[in-house]
Amino acid sequence: MKKNTKNPFKTPQGYFNSFEDKLMDKLSTEGSVMPKARGFTVPENYFDTFNDKLTNKLIKETKVIPLYPVKKIIAFVASIAAIAIIFFGYNWNSTEKLSISALANTDIEAYFENNEFDLTSYEIAEVLPFTDTEFSNMLNSSIENDNILDYLSDNTIDFEELNLQDNE
Amino acid sequence: MIVEETLVQDLKTKNTQAQAFNVLVSMYKERLYWQIRGIVLNHDDADDVLQNTFIKVYKNIDGFKGDSQLFSWMYRIATNEALSFIKHRAKMQGITDEDYQEKLVSNLQADVYFEGDEIQLKLQQAITTLPERQKLVFNMKYFQELKYEEISEILDTSVGSLKASYHLAVKKVEQYLKTD
Repeated sequence: MKKNTKNPFKTPQGYFNSFEDKLMDKLSTEGSVMPKARGFTVPENYFDTFNDKLTNKLIKETKVIPLYPVKKIIAFVASIAAIAIIFFGYNWNSTEKLSISALANTDIEAYFENNEFDLTSYEIAEVLPFTDTEFSNMLNSSIENDNILDYLSDNTIDFEELNLQDNE
Repeated sequence: MIVEETLVQDLKTKNTQAQAFNVLVSMYKERLYWQIRGIVLNHDDADDVLQNTFIKVYKNIDGFKGDSQLFSWMYRIATNEALSFIKHRAKMQGITDEDYQEKLVSNLQADVYFEGDEIQLKLQQAITTLPERQKLVFNMKYFQELKYEEISEILDTSVGSLKASYHLAVKKVEQYLKTD
């Protein structure tokens, strides 16, 4: 824009840049019913006493934390002691060595029941020596014939697969 | 007037920290108080939030990078603290933030630190109906007369968007006051 060199008057810096905002704000509230004050008050001397009040709170908040806090040390020692007691106490009077025979059958059954091994019957057969082993050796109670027949009738779709004739 | 940069430097130096913090509190306590009071409405709550704001400023001054003005940074902390306070209180009472704020306004008449007349009370009710951002912009622009550039830095929003929010807020408040 061409500057009017004959005009001796000046405007404050940024006057025209902020003029639109000022005008819009004035228009927004022109003839407005809005009160400018909110009606909020503060207790007497509130701001005068605020610095002291804040300083006191800050001292409490940023209280020096000891490098080796006694409570934490006690808690740490107590937890170590508790672990030691549990560990040693568990085997205190136990002269028996840990072995598979020391485990209760129900524990073993529960273990196999609750864990998935993804073992195929061939993999199991590779581990178990079936040459002189009967099913009855592995079971506490004998299986009744009726139970076997019930199981077969419930779970066998094709009886030919059982190849019964060859083993008769 | 103390240069902000010097003040920040003094706040980060152990020997000068206490004195500089005292200066900082004296400089900004009133402005931050009114910003907080505009959100929480009640004096006791505003006092709590103001103290927490300064404690946060004190503890985090080392993290102040100087990307924004110290004043904007503190304003942002104060605003966030006040909004979190409202949300926390509303949650404790099992109601929404809006319901909690309506409750605050309805308690104003019984507040010993509120001496507003009927129209001022109605103005507070009108502000409560605004969405959160418009409410903040209205408080900062109308009552505290902050510049758009300052609000922009505090709320991290463009000036254009702030102008739109403010004009919208003014229209809504006026409309509310004209009804009844």
